[in-house]
Amino acid sequence: MTGRVTPLALSLVAIAGWAVSLAVLSDRAELLLAGLPVLVLLAALARPAAPPPYAVAHELSSDRIFEGDTVTLTITVTARSRIGLIELLGPRPPGSLVRSGHHRVVMTLGRGDTGRASYTLHFPGRGAHDLGTIAVRVRDRLGLRAWEHRHVDPRPLLVYPRIVPLRHVPRPAHVQASVGDYVSRALGEGIEPGEIRQFAPGDRIKQVNWRASLRLGQLYVTQQHRERNADVVLMLDTLAEVGAPSETTLDLGVRAAASLATAYLGRKDRVGLITYGGVMSWVRPRSGAVQYERLADALLRADVVFTYVAKDLLRIPPRVLSSQALVIAITPLLDRRFAKAVLDLAARGFDLVVLVVSPVDVTRAAVAPTATGELAARLWRLERGADLGELRRHGLPVIEWRPPAPLEAALAESRRRRFRLANAG
Amino acid sequence: MMRAIAALAAAALYGLVALPSPVGVTVGLAGLLPAAVAILARWPLMAVVAACGYLVAYTVALSIGQAALRVAPALTFGLALVVFLEAVDLSARVHRATVQGGVVRAALGRWLALGFGVLAVAIVTLTTAGPLARILPQAVSPLVAAAGGLASVLIVAALVRRAA
Repeated sequence: MTGRVTPLALSLVAIAGWAVSLAVLSDRAELLLAGLPVLVLLAALARPAAPPPYAVAHELSSDRIFEGDTVTLTITVTARSRIGLIELLGPRPPGSLVRSGHHRVVMTLGRGDTGRASYTLHFPGRGAHDLGTIAVRVRDRLGLRAWEHRHVDPRPLLVYPRIVPLRHVPRPAHVQASVGDYVSRALGEGIEPGEIRQFAPGDRIKQVNWRASLRLGQLYVTQQHRERNADVVLMLDTLAEVGAPSETTLDLGVRAAASLATAYLGRKDRVGLITYGGVMSWVRPRSGAVQYERLADALLRADVVFTYVAKDLLRIPPRVLSSQALVIAITPLLDRRFAKAVLDLAARGFDLVVLVVSPVDVTRAAVAPTATGELAARLWRLERGADLGELRRHGLPVIEWRPPAPLEAALAESRRRRFRLANAG
Repeated sequence: MMRAIAALAAAALYGLVALPSPVGVTVGLAGLLPAAVAILARWPLMAVVAACGYLVAYTVALSIGQAALRVAPALTFGLALVVFLEAVDLSARVHRATVQGGVVRAALGRWLALGFGVLAVAIVTLTTAGPLARILPQAVSPLVAAAGGLASVLIVAALVRRAA
């Protein structure tokens, strides 16, 4: 705990000196008397003082929330002796807004008293925060001395990206060995009826197609197509972003990635993630609810790290980026390196879909509308149209998402016509 | 609430400056204007400037008025200065903060206690100053006053330095 003389005490010293000087210079005793209260107050500094003992505790209403949610932080102070004035500065992470109450608290406490204050923080954007540090400043009764202390009790708060339920998602071209929601070309156990063939030893009675058997005079069975899952890898562009805080192209891309991950995991697919930027990281494709936690943890930490270096996707292990996976590249296409990486993947034969988050609309939403701005946006859109056309000419399916239009609408509009899946495991 | 108290103290200071001489009405503005800025902007440093301005204005008013020593207004002036400085400081601290009950009440109690303490010290000082003035030769009294003033400021500075 750090102790010091308050600025108020220093002000009083200045006033006392000024009053005494003026008294001597003007030969008026009234000025000495006017300085007397200040001198009496400052005389209290002669007595040594120790910081008053107290205990601070705080708690969060929740440690995991979604973007746009609020969390209430309650601070409790218990004084073990009388405290003239205690100031508390609660945590307020960057990007958060105080929705109700104040994150600064001022109170006076008697011996054994307990003071409690709450405030609500609104988190418009994703992120991992620690709301565990409270700055405490205690003043003595006269306000001349202050002791400062940082109360640290880690309280992590994870703000997950907002999820939009998606019904239409790009269908993978290849399936994997595990059971899932996609009807495979391969025949086996399943519920989707397939071809009819003659009964063979080992076939079950419930597979017998009685209508065909009666018509043809011998037993026929209905085969079923297998239902299989797929590997989906979400490749997020973290090379550059534009837009207002918490509504940047990266934030929108992260929300799209979280929504797609939820949709695919709900279809029993294995979903992985690659963040392609200054720092390249990945999450191996897996399925299940725990995998969503892994993906969400990676997504809420995704950030733009500037670099001149173009990362090579060959560094990514094949178990993360398997050749049978559907790769959904989520990008605002602001950096040419990402387009190059996408074309590289397409050249290597990956099943690829490019989801482009339009930076034009995001930027227009962030700046005040002007005639020049409108013209610039039109030119930019034309230029981007040419860029997207270039990707399409390479045979890449490109979906352009123009926020604030819903992602579902963009996906439904560009739903790819895919043939029934083959290559069941 | 704190800004209202500070405004009351500033008005009291202006009234006390204007009391010894009509000139005080004009020179008192040297304190009143920065005080208004300090209160409106919750700016403690400007409050110090205002306090210094009030002291200068009070000195000018006393020097021009040439009135006899009046203890009560001078002590009230000093107390109002303290209240003004502390109120502006406190108003800056409680700005945009959740203020739990008792902060204003504790400050009022503190100022009341200071008032009684100052009154007691003033009675003791004035009681001893009278006989002391009769003993001291007329020629050395300005020197003693200057030395006393310097000593008091040095003592206060030493106390602050030790406390820091």
